[in-house]
Amino acid sequence: MSTPTTAADQTAATGPRSPGKDSARRRGTELIVRFNLVLVFLALCAVASVLAPEFLTTRNMSNLLQQSALTGIVAVGMTLVILTAGIDLSVGSVAAFGGMTVALLIDKDLNFLLAIAVSVAAGAVFGAVMGGLSAYLSLPAFMTTLAGLTAIRGLTYLLTDGEPAGGDVPHAFQLLGGGFVGYVPIVGLIFVAVAAGAGLLLRTTTFGEYIYAVGSNKEAARLSGLPVRAVVTAVFAISGALAALAGVLLTSRLTIGQPTAFNGLELDAIAAVVLGGTNLFGGRGGVMGTFVAVLLLSVLRNLCNLMGLGSFFQMVVTGLILVVALVLNMLIEKRGSRA
Amino acid sequence: MHKPDTAPPRLVMRGIVKRFPGTLANDGAELIVRPGETHCLLGENGAGKSTLMKILAGSYRPDEGEILLDGEPVELTGPQAGLAHGIAVIYQELDLVPDLTVAQNLLLGHAPSRGPFVRRARRAALAREAVDRVGGDFDVDTPVRDLPIAAQQLTAIAKALTADARIIVMDEPSATLGETDLRRVFEVIRSLTAQGRSVIYISHRLEEVLEIGDRATVLRDGRTVAVRDLAGTTADRLVDDMIGRATALTGTTDRPRPEGPPLLDIAAVRSPGLVDVSGIQVRAGEIVGLAGLGGAGRTTLLKALFGDSRAAVSVTLDGAPVRLRSPAAAVRAGLALVPESRKEQGLMPGLSVSRNAAVAALSAPPWLAPRGRGRRLSAPVLDGLGVRCSSPDQPVGKLSGGNQQKVVLAKWITKGSLKVLLLDEPTRGLDVGAKADLYRQVRALADQGVAVLLASSELGELTANADRIWVLHEGRNVACFDPRTTDENDIAHTVVTGTVPAGATTARATPPGAPS
Repeated sequence: MSTPTTAADQTAATGPRSPGKDSARRRGTELIVRFNLVLVFLALCAVASVLAPEFLTTRNMSNLLQQSALTGIVAVGMTLVILTAGIDLSVGSVAAFGGMTVALLIDKDLNFLLAIAVSVAAGAVFGAVMGGLSAYLSLPAFMTTLAGLTAIRGLTYLLTDGEPAGGDVPHAFQLLGGGFVGYVPIVGLIFVAVAAGAGLLLRTTTFGEYIYAVGSNKEAARLSGLPVRAVVTAVFAISGALAALAGVLLTSRLTIGQPTAFNGLELDAIAAVVLGGTNLFGGRGGVMGTFVAVLLLSVLRNLCNLMGLGSFFQMVVTGLILVVALVLNMLIEKRGSRA
Repeated sequence: MHKPDTAPPRLVMRGIVKRFPGTLANDGAELIVRPGETHCLLGENGAGKSTLMKILAGSYRPDEGEILLDGEPVELTGPQAGLAHGIAVIYQELDLVPDLTVAQNLLLGHAPSRGPFVRRARRAALAREAVDRVGGDFDVDTPVRDLPIAAQQLTAIAKALTADARIIVMDEPSATLGETDLRRVFEVIRSLTAQGRSVIYISHRLEEVLEIGDRATVLRDGRTVAVRDLAGTTADRLVDDMIGRATALTGTTDRPRPEGPPLLDIAAVRSPGLVDVSGIQVRAGEIVGLAGLGGAGRTTLLKALFGDSRAAVSVTLDGAPVRLRSPAAAVRAGLALVPESRKEQGLMPGLSVSRNAAVAALSAPPWLAPRGRGRRLSAPVLDGLGVRCSSPDQPVGKLSGGNQQKVVLAKWITKGSLKVLLLDEPTRGLDVGAKADLYRQVRALADQGVAVLLASSELGELTANADRIWVLHEGRNVACFDPRTTDENDIAHTVVTGTVPAGATTARATPPGAPS
């Protein structure tokens, strides 16, 4: 399902104007960089279907999409943040907070739609505060969101003194995180919708263009009269909101809010973003790379599961794959820039 | 001071050529320094002084040319090699570690030790000795951060001496020193040369140069144009050497003098210790030049006007007072800045030409389709400016310097409704053709009624393009000249000395807007 999306992205990237020779070569390497990931993904799927016959079953596929969706939603927000040369370490805590508040609010007989809105808004506010501190006081985002990671996790525990919350949630709410349309999990659809929405935001709005400009050169963007600080605050707010949404969806699937959920989520999300070809120093990359990378990582995990490899082994393999992918990307990009 | 003319020169740099993409920083530069001599290195900004000194320090490798130390050819492969050959460079930004003490800094990397333990008392004693040698009286256990600038300068000199340097390069020490501190540094320089060491002294201030220097080498456009015995020369002579008679863009502007009320009226721009400017007016269609040495306040003034500093700014635009608190507000009010550094401040190097050119134009609704709209808006502008690129999708970082600068200009033209254009060293690093091209575009903008404020170190370019030239000296606007009627050398004297010749409009005596 990733392949058509990526292909559409490429035609959009090539644009109506016929590019010159130099630019065509650059586009070529750009395509290789992007295809490289898709190719690795397809190769991995092929290997997986040979090694584990149950890999290609619809049941396993929909499982896979369900598992990757929550990390994926968070990784989409992280992509926007990293495109501005920022980083958001607080997503795991914000997601847990979102999941807990939605469970508590539904427990208090609030309409579940309203409860979702409140939780997601809270996530956005957290993000905006951390991003705003970083943007307006020139604090490093690494530190403001590290502070957020600790403080918001603590706040999450304080909500119920560390106990899980809720349990009695309406059926409609449960469908959101656990339901299916045909064989397709609803969370998977939400993931696709979020990724597509972010992709459109980046490509078709002035705000998206500002994200790239700020990430490419903050000083030049500021001296071009761009609202740099507002842009940075906004991407952190979006990242916070999406993290909270992931928390809400987990609560919906588990029917209870877990204050300990999403530990270490930020690292998974950052890994997917970087694997997807977005530059950690901002300005280059996009949501589609992240989308493929998220699927790739969960296929890898799925394959290890199907082959009965332990989770310790999985961690080692995931780490090695990340390093190999990064080195490959770097080599291809270097060759591209030398050409 | 003894000058044994029979001995081989301490240092010979001959035929040094250093190319950077788009520029020729050194083009056959030559520098000969004798033992025990204070040799001054002079030249306007961009003449190639720092490049030459970086080659001497080993930081840059020259493309051509040879270097001889005490008659022997040497290959300086890196800063370590430079140090090993006894070449110590004291940069303007002192390369000391601010949080370490004076003693730690002086013996960084070779502290006396017993096994893994540092012998602190021994280190302090050694440091004391080194500091005494340069006449310092401060405590060697003080962190460098807490020392006054003069003491930091002395520490840097002492550090250069611990390496037993034969040649000591001092890059504009006076830029950060007061008068009395400078005396101390001069005494140290004299004692160094008395020991037979050679000092290369870089400064813009000619009175210092005449006082401390034995000989001077003048660089212009990367070439050595004169070597002078300072005992028998005058400041005027040196200024003439530095400026040169033939500049690339000669002649004065032939545009009709713009009339009418000022579009931009700078009542006052003040920032303590940095800039104190008042009474500069720019009419619609007028190009006003800002001349001055490095650090005279040109950049500070332009940044303040663009809302990018904490300076107290009192400005009227089109007759109405404006308060510009941020660059964004300045852009909304119709100001535009072409900043000093294209790569760091002007462009997003990873993004394409059209995205760079359009980025300031996207703030107007509809806030959709930025790339298609940007390409459509910027295409005629890029064509009009003659930007040479393989396609609008080429990353702007891959273009030549001249084309990059045009993209910066295109950004503001694409945005439209431009009232005031501020240019800060727009031609730095451009070749002659690109310079002429850029000024043609700036004049075209002025002809459309834009008020242009143009800061440049290249006086020849200012006289060729500006309608009036304000000279800034040590943060103040001291005099205004009309390049149509004033000789360039008169302006140059004011730039270097800050004194105002008869006939020039001074800052505060007459209304500066009035034609002189």
